[in-house]
Amino acid sequence: MVGKDCVAIACDLRLGLQALTVSNNFPKIFSYGDVYLGLTGLATDVSTVADLFRYKVNMYRLREERQISPQTMANLVSSSLYERRFGPYFVSPVIAGINHTTGKPFICGFDSIGCIDFAKDFIVSGTASDQLFGTCEGLWEPDLGPEDLFETVSQALLNAVDRDALSGWGAHVYIIEKDKVTKRLLKGRQD
Amino acid sequence: MASVFTAPPLADNGPGYSFKQTPTTHISADGTRQHSFYPYTDNGGSTLGISGADFTILAGDTRSTSGYNINSRYVPKLFKIGGEGPEHTGSSIVLSVVGFAADGDALKERLDTVVKMYKYQHGKNMSVAACAQRLSHILYNKRFFPYYVHAILGGLDEEGKGALYSYDPVGSYEREQCRAAGAAASLIMPFLDNQVNYKNQYIPASGYGHDLQPRKAELLPRNTVEELVRDAFDSAVERHIEVGDGLQMMIITKDGIEEVYSPLKKD
Amino acid sequence: MEVLLGLTGKDFTLVASSKAAMRGVTILKATDDKTRELNKYNLMAFSGEAGDTVQFAEYVQANVQLYSMRNNSELGPAAVASFVRGELAKALRSRSPYTVNLLLGGFDPITQKPTLYWCDYLASLAQLPYAAHGYAQYYCLSTLDKHHHPDIDLEKGLKILRMCSDELKRRLPIDFKGLAVKIITKDGIREEDWVDDKQVLPA
Repeated sequence: MVGKDCVAIACDLRLGLQALTVSNNFPKIFSYGDVYLGLTGLATDVSTVADLFRYKVNMYRLREERQISPQTMANLVSSSLYERRFGPYFVSPVIAGINHTTGKPFICGFDSIGCIDFAKDFIVSGTASDQLFGTCEGLWEPDLGPEDLFETVSQALLNAVDRDALSGWGAHVYIIEKDKVTKRLLKGRQD
Repeated sequence: MASVFTAPPLADNGPGYSFKQTPTTHISADGTRQHSFYPYTDNGGSTLGISGADFTILAGDTRSTSGYNINSRYVPKLFKIGGEGPEHTGSSIVLSVVGFAADGDALKERLDTVVKMYKYQHGKNMSVAACAQRLSHILYNKRFFPYYVHAILGGLDEEGKGALYSYDPVGSYEREQCRAAGAAASLIMPFLDNQVNYKNQYIPASGYGHDLQPRKAELLPRNTVEELVRDAFDSAVERHIEVGDGLQMMIITKDGIEEVYSPLKKD
Repeated sequence: MEVLLGLTGKDFTLVASSKAAMRGVTILKATDDKTRELNKYNLMAFSGEAGDTVQFAEYVQANVQLYSMRNNSELGPAAVASFVRGELAKALRSRSPYTVNLLLGGFDPITQKPTLYWCDYLASLAQLPYAAHGYAQYYCLSTLDKHHHPDIDLEKGLKILRMCSDELKRRLPIDFKGLAVKIITKDGIREEDWVDDKQVLPA
């Protein structure tokens, strides 16, 4: 979710096999320097893809001697997923970050084969995506400050996952500003 | 129009027809032919009801779809029930139906007839509670060939408070504060949880951990509810292709039913 | 009807596996050990397709030991888990995937913390305070939800495990021939003398 000179990215903590909850502490957001990647979908691919990008981004950093920008990361994710066009990773990733050259917030989402969805407002993904579309579209407004953005993204996520039987069990919320990243853990309903 | 019945559905369950509705002919080995067709269609759209201290608001968009086609930009999903004559003069109950429009129409006609007959026979208006239970029975009577609709019934109870009842297609029902139904129900309902029942909202600095006090839900004033309904539908229109064109709202108060129509995006 | 159970406590990890080796409804062996010691502080319990399980477990075991020989250092539980998951994930998208579910019980000699990793045949990996595979999930997780606490001592841990074992005996239609119980602590891996001759009957 985009705010004024800030972006937010949030995820729930449930890991389950259909109706059976296996873990209630399985974060789906991974940090790659200045860029944050959220991954929903098949748990094994969430881990595989997260590890794959950790490797790729580390290699990028060593070669280029600088951090990867969100835009570059987006193209890296896109091309890496499309490489598996006919045997895809079953994930739908979301990227959030601030570009430190332009100073502008950046978010985008992907389908499982790497088609990029550039959005100016918000990106949703996962089993509660319908619900998230509803809450985000209803609660979001342009140019929110970091504190208001935190409240908005948290309310959007919590209320959406409460209407989805396959999501929930608390949340992680990252508020990314130019010179500061705040990570908060939300309690949420435990059912 | 014929193409509707001859064209193959785009995919089972995928985009396209919500139901496999093409009439099919199956010829078995001995040469006998079996003709069949699927008797339901999903006409899309969404409805929403919220009740307050002395009013109930029901709302629905006016788009009618089948698959990716728009049949009409003005097919109401809200119906006055009871009252005098075809204009339902003096009525104070509203039924909203979303799902299969033909079943919705049939259901409305039956309930309307029942409510009118009640007045002729008993010389008094049917209460919403009674009407609500009767609707449940009508739906359950067709348990094995159901009306393919998600119904919401609104009115004022015997104390003059807003009353709202929601139903599943076979008549299971419940009185609630607010309910969204139809294509965009999954988008609207969590928003309503948050903004009407104040779910996940807490009173700041009212305690630590489990002692933190949840913000208590209160009955909302009418203009707030109207704003919420508009916001909910504007959001749904933005993200759901089956919702749009127009917003029809009916506000039930002690003075009767007020009907408001306002445009929604037509794209 | 293979049973894998694991739980962690204050200073130990318990891993239990059923002793019956089954093929269809036939029990071939009543003293099967469905675990392999990977190194001093890591134990892997496995269930799944007959040939795959032991093949995969011993492949992992050999590689973990090879690593120690080459680098003169032991892999910690997190590293082992990550390696195992990687191998399973690689196999998943090959022509011959392993159909193996795993529990990785460990004790981290550096942080002095017990660990337990849950990994299914799709290579979904999660670190958990307690875990199960197969039908044991449905029968035991609720018991563990209620009684487990991260600070429990070994005695309490074994007591909870007994409750789980009793419930399985009570509810499972086929005798799984009792549990083999292993304990991982700061002193390494040892087998618990688990008495399984008491009959448990449903109410």
